[in-house]
Amino acid sequence: MSFLSPLLLWFLAAASVPVIIHLINRRRHKTIQWAAMQFLLKASRESRGKKKLRHILILTCRALGIAALALAAARPIVSGLIGWGAGSIDTVVLILDRSASMEVKPGDGLQSRRQIAIANVKDAIADLGGARLVLIDSATATPQEVPSPDTLGDISSTAATDTAADLPSLLAKAAEYLAESTGRAEIWIASDLQTTNWKPNDERWAAARASLAALPQKTAVRVLSLTGNTTADSTILIHGARRSASELLVDLEILRSGTARGTTNLPLTTHLNGSSTTESLTIPGQSIRFQKRVALPPDSETGHGWLSLPADGNPRGNAAFFAYGPDRPIRTLVVAPQGETADYLTLAAAPPAYGNLQTVRTDRASAHTAITPDLAAILWAAPLPEDEAYIATEKFLNDGGHVLFLPPATASPLQFNTITWADPSDSPTGKFFILQDWNRADGPLRDGIDGTPVAAKRLRAIRRQIPQGDVTPLARWEDGEPALIRRIFDHGTAWFIGTLPDYTWSNLGDADVLLPAVQRIITAGANRFDASYLTTVGSETAKLRPGETRTRLDSYGTPDPANSPHTAGIWKLGDRLLAINTPHQETLPEILSKDELDAVLADTGFTLLDQAGQSTDPTISRDIWRAFLIACLLFLLAELLLCLPKKQPLTVGTPTTTRPGESRPMSG
Amino acid sequence: MHSFLDNSLLSRLGSLPIESRVPMMGNVAGKHRSPHRGSSVEFAEYRKYVPGDDTRRLDWKAFARSDRFYIKEFEADTNLRAYFVVDASGSMNFAGKGVSKIHYARQIAASLAYLLVNQGDAAGLSICTDKLHLEVPPSRRAAHLERFFSTLAKLEPTGETGLINALHTIAEKIGQRAFVVILSDFFTETEALSEALQHLRYRKHDISAFHLMDPQEIGFDFERPHRFVDLEDGTAIVAEPTLIAEEYNNALSEFLKTVRNKCHDASADYQLVTTDTPLEPLLREFLTARLPKSKH
Repeated sequence: MSFLSPLLLWFLAAASVPVIIHLINRRRHKTIQWAAMQFLLKASRESRGKKKLRHILILTCRALGIAALALAAARPIVSGLIGWGAGSIDTVVLILDRSASMEVKPGDGLQSRRQIAIANVKDAIADLGGARLVLIDSATATPQEVPSPDTLGDISSTAATDTAADLPSLLAKAAEYLAESTGRAEIWIASDLQTTNWKPNDERWAAARASLAALPQKTAVRVLSLTGNTTADSTILIHGARRSASELLVDLEILRSGTARGTTNLPLTTHLNGSSTTESLTIPGQSIRFQKRVALPPDSETGHGWLSLPADGNPRGNAAFFAYGPDRPIRTLVVAPQGETADYLTLAAAPPAYGNLQTVRTDRASAHTAITPDLAAILWAAPLPEDEAYIATEKFLNDGGHVLFLPPATASPLQFNTITWADPSDSPTGKFFILQDWNRADGPLRDGIDGTPVAAKRLRAIRRQIPQGDVTPLARWEDGEPALIRRIFDHGTAWFIGTLPDYTWSNLGDADVLLPAVQRIITAGANRFDASYLTTVGSETAKLRPGETRTRLDSYGTPDPANSPHTAGIWKLGDRLLAINTPHQETLPEILSKDELDAVLADTGFTLLDQAGQSTDPTISRDIWRAFLIACLLFLLAELLLCLPKKQPLTVGTPTTTRPGESRPMSG
Repeated sequence: MHSFLDNSLLSRLGSLPIESRVPMMGNVAGKHRSPHRGSSVEFAEYRKYVPGDDTRRLDWKAFARSDRFYIKEFEADTNLRAYFVVDASGSMNFAGKGVSKIHYARQIAASLAYLLVNQGDAAGLSICTDKLHLEVPPSRRAAHLERFFSTLAKLEPTGETGLINALHTIAEKIGQRAFVVILSDFFTETEALSEALQHLRYRKHDISAFHLMDPQEIGFDFERPHRFVDLEDGTAIVAEPTLIAEEYNNALSEFLKTVRNKCHDASADYQLVTTDTPLEPLLREFLTARLPKSKH
């Protein structure tokens, strides 16, 4: 059994106070001269036995009442984890969620959720006696036997990480391990029930449940959920970083914890190549997303740094790391016949003010030779590629490049990846094709990071060609026909837009739509060059390749060599420079609902123990506390009932002379 | 002046006579009925004339109506002799938070004796323990009262009770009917007490019993354990009152009921009194209750 306030257990000694008082009272009796001794002797003889038992019961009730009060004050919680009826267990498989979100602290000065979970498990295991403890932590997902539960909090496999967790696979691992073991076993899952870690819609849950059901021994599942309120916490995220000449454009987001209200100012510190600068950042509401321009040192080829917030409730979310490589031009290939369309596309791909943007123009026939891996994007306003051009374009897309296809302006039966163009069509006389709706959260027509929409409503077309294929449109004309579609390849994306930036087709050439759409496509295509510097903990990129060694370059925080693969920071993996950050899903506040938990652990007969730890809403501890308090009240009530005199003491009223035949009853 | 006498109380009670409930057989004329016919103004009965009767007592009007001789008889009034039997055992020395039972007995005995002598009756005193039996013979003289009071004042309760022997002695010793007032806590064998009372009744005495108890003996409201030492024989017992209060109350209640019944069986007036009871209402109630119905 463990207690949230174990020091208060000293008050258990107070349970002996009634007995001590009783004994002292017996010794400190007062001597009194007494006349009615005959009744005293008789009463004393008669009171033995039953009376003595009653008195012992009264003392016991008093002692137990005080003991229950002391226990309630100490806030027992362990009983909540293993339950009152837990019998002998041979093996406990502990699935420990040590994702970044588990480092949130329920209150100022308290331990993190992960540490609370470890402490609870340690105490619970101690209560179980000789049960074997097998740990499957969310970072390594490898079962390992813990020799002594006392060391649970000290081993590297339970330390804090910047990883995300994958609960379906962890449960499957536990079932797989138990299939090889014997004896009564239980699976304990200590987690904050973060939805992105539990993945309630993941199909692997069914397989994990089936594995559990197939175990030879009945295995109980207990979920120790660590939810509830937390201390104030701000998290910094990098969505992307792109070098533009002597600046690094960092797409940044700062989130505040769900309970945060109003506007606040936070100091944002930029650490770059050993120097740091701090600026004050005003955050209206719960989040802010913006692009931060980090000025790079002159002649800086490569470098790294990080952006940090002051320490708060979760230290794992207070820094975001970035790295950059040499400045390189962003090249775009324009495949279009000479004319207005080609001019507009060239202008949109490399406006004069954008220093490192370059365009290469070619015609359809020689396009296959112009498609090179260093291109960020291709703008294709010609009949769809075929033969060598087709192969080159498809490879370009699979490697992460982006291609914007525009109508060929003529009817063409050619297909690209099952997508083809319909014949050109004109709008009715005096009318235009107008965009009715478009995806404002995704694609090249999405709203800006500050919420400003693209002026796609201004697009007017008198001629169009409908892209046809089994795809979901990102924009539609008023008549419901698709205006913009995409086809995703391995790492790249092909976009198809249904009109041309030509005055005989539409006003697409105006900067309202074409410029942001083309620039976004080029940026997305160029990200694969800069993305080689930016990744997240646990990703394939962040894993060591054969022959590589891992070296940390930044000085943020306290290094934990044993958990290097699971820690965010600036890392040198062999020759690769990587800024490895916490996965974004760790910042999402959604937690699993009871229904979702019931669904993912259906038929396992799991027990949910909502252990909010030392937060302001400690559900389990409060329940136990209440139980002890009720017990205390019951004991005191029993004591009161036992102490109640059965009869009123004898009293004599006003003296009255009674004569034979009269009777004046005495009360009592 | 003795501490147990209260002049103002006595003056206030002076208007109330002490009546006997049975005819008295006194030596001198008094205000109490006698079993004999006498010369009082109160008509008793007619009886036939027999030779030797005083012819002055013939009712000539009755003779005129019936032509027979009748003697007209009147009640004889005589005085009352009262014996105050005070239990002086050690238990009477108990005083809880107020006065002791013996002091309270002194107050009652002295006050009633004063009133009796004041109305021309005789008052005597009998003090009893297991080792001592003091007697002050009854007398009507005012000077006798001082001896009565002095004896009461010197009274030192000690030892076990000698009440039973004292009552038997009085019953045997007093030849004529008397008013016997017993002041005691009656901490003795109730059967023996019953026999003693029946003995007095057999002698046709008018008996009144004041059963004196201390409020602490009745309430028994102790909280802490106490070592109780017997006032009579010194035996001691350590007890926790909260544990035995119920049994104690039961035993005491049974005892009080038994004593009352025994008194009533012997045609004795019974009065249970706690020592915190104001004396005046107690005595006023006692005296009023003894008045004949017509005088109430």
